[in-house]
Amino acid sequence: MDRILRINMTDRSASFEPMPKQYENRAGRWLTSSIIHDEVPATCHPLGPNNKLVFSPGIVTGTSSPTSSRISVGGKSPLTGGIKEANAGTGWGRRLARLGIRAVIIEGRADGFWLLKITKNGASFETADAWTGKKLSEVYPKLFERSGGHKAVDICSIGIAGEHRMPAAGICFNDQNARPTRYAGRGGLGAVMGSKGLKMIVVDDTGSDDVPVANKEVFNGGRKNMAAALTEHAITKPKGALNSYGTAVLVNIINEAGALPTRNFRSGRFEGAAKIAGEAIFEGNKERTGSELYNHACSPGCIIACSNTWHRPDGSEHTSCVEYESAWALGANCGIDNLDQVAELNLLCNEYGLDTIEIGGALAVAMEGGLAAFGDGKRAIELVHEIGRATPLGKILGAGAVATGKVFGVSRVPHVKGQNMPAYEPRAIKGIGMTYAVSTMGADHTSGYTIAPEMLGVSGKLDPLNPDKAELARNFQYATAFIDTTGHCLFIAFAILDIASGFEGMVEECNGVLGTKWTAEDVARIGKEILDLELDFNHRAGFTKLDDRLPEFMLYEPLPPHNVVWDIADSEIDQVFGQ
Amino acid sequence: MRVEIRLYATFAQYAPSQRAGDPFSAQLHDGATLADLVGKLRIPEESIHLVIINGRIVHDRCQSLVDDDRVGLFPPVGGG
Ligand code: SF4
Repeated sequence: MDRILRINMTDRSASFEPMPKQYENRAGRWLTSSIIHDEVPATCHPLGPNNKLVFSPGIVTGTSSPTSSRISVGGKSPLTGGIKEANAGTGWGRRLARLGIRAVIIEGRADGFWLLKITKNGASFETADAWTGKKLSEVYPKLFERSGGHKAVDICSIGIAGEHRMPAAGICFNDQNARPTRYAGRGGLGAVMGSKGLKMIVVDDTGSDDVPVANKEVFNGGRKNMAAALTEHAITKPKGALNSYGTAVLVNIINEAGALPTRNFRSGRFEGAAKIAGEAIFEGNKERTGSELYNHACSPGCIIACSNTWHRPDGSEHTSCVEYESAWALGANCGIDNLDQVAELNLLCNEYGLDTIEIGGALAVAMEGGLAAFGDGKRAIELVHEIGRATPLGKILGAGAVATGKVFGVSRVPHVKGQNMPAYEPRAIKGIGMTYAVSTMGADHTSGYTIAPEMLGVSGKLDPLNPDKAELARNFQYATAFIDTTGHCLFIAFAILDIASGFEGMVEECNGVLGTKWTAEDVARIGKEILDLELDFNHRAGFTKLDDRLPEFMLYEPLPPHNVVWDIADSEIDQVFGQ
Repeated sequence: MRVEIRLYATFAQYAPSQRAGDPFSAQLHDGATLADLVGKLRIPEESIHLVIINGRIVHDRCQSLVDDDRVGLFPPVGGG
């Protein structure tokens, strides 16, 4: 039976509620954004008692549908001041789904830190003060051991950054091999969890039932079409681009195209790009381990399996996963071309519970402000340790790029709505720039990945410098909001945008689980509904269209090698959502 | 004329150093096209998904090359 688990941290009470009628069929981002929209006062302080944190697995999460183990986390963001949904791949959400829990709502605020345990029988609390102040690689193995092992449970936790309520703090989930490495990273939701006094949530689904499927035939047909598309498409198939080289395979192509933000968005080309790219990771691992390592699935049931590892000279595992965004943020954006240093920075972000993109952005802005030279990986590592020690300097960096820029008097701060831009230069790729500008999440590539047609030749071949992208930015955001609702990883998009039966398969899977009769039109309708909820929340939080703008320096600083500025008219940006 | 080439992902095997992104150059006759270059590199034509010349994505294989062009060749790639 579908139900909602409501946790009040103030008195540490827990209650199950039936799923309200108006939320019927909602899950994932649709449900987190609905609850935040309906229950959280938009003007509340993100770290105050009136904000809420909501976890929701997607519609098909927990079924046999491939690549669908995503968990959505929602709240009001301390980084942007707007609504936030961040999601991660992990078995954690599958267990919630199997327990029939469509959402966990965390409200109130406790003294000290607490561990919440969710089982078939309900929820219980114990003090977690002893788990605080530690690296997550010290916490997870011990907690797994105490909780019956990874076969029985999955763990979600904040790190030191979240305990100190830093706006760059993410929420960590373990991967399929029990590593504490998968993040609902963006927007500071780890700080929200910390502000509630919630350190960790252990989910044990022992004795649970399979996720109910209303129409098995429809579901199975959809699932097969989805799996066929994923195993056929060159990007998502076994030993395809993602499985061989991971997401960091993009470093070289975006660099060739002159759109890889380098040294705090001063250039679109990094001379050291090839040294930190997915190919270099693959070759380096081969040299160091003596075998060709193909990537692994971060979460149960993923058949794309894009998650990599990086190995030390002696062959031992250094860190997982060096994503494209992380290799870029901690590499090219800081002028660092040494993979071992990039990997160490990546590891430290995982240890302290940080969003790699925001921290890479803060480090680059700090370099701009004179705290280190661009390219000084050793100093960058020391600076991230400052965050781990929660020193005043560490807390400034942990507050993100905008705060760092203010403290150190830097005007080149590449952000929208307070969130640092990810790894695509908007001056050189206009559609992603429009997406950054209007996204309800602040600068965010995953809210509408127009890179697929603008750069990668997926679902069309568009000129990245062509400014006519309002419709593209709108449609991609609607489709993405729906994918974030299904529980599928966004990377299914590469396959299903090119292979129509895969797209239909996604809709059929949902129809199979829910017993609905959705069509492709419903994908756009539901996507719009989600965006409208989020836009309304942000509007009530005080955002206007003047917040839908790229930072001023991009209007007057030409970006090499194309020497282009951001030249899209404000009126054109405002057309994306027609306000 | 001489053009500068970079091969990426699985195409690295066709580069002299066998390393992705290591630049090397090729001599071509004046007026040579992208298709001429692809033929010279012995990369199966159908496996080429994207070509980037001087930072611009080029879809037309008949495009002529000029001296000092920077050419990058890619199989299908994706990420996030
Ligand atoms: S495609 Fe990659 S990120 Fe997505 S679920 Fe699979 S392994 Fe995780």
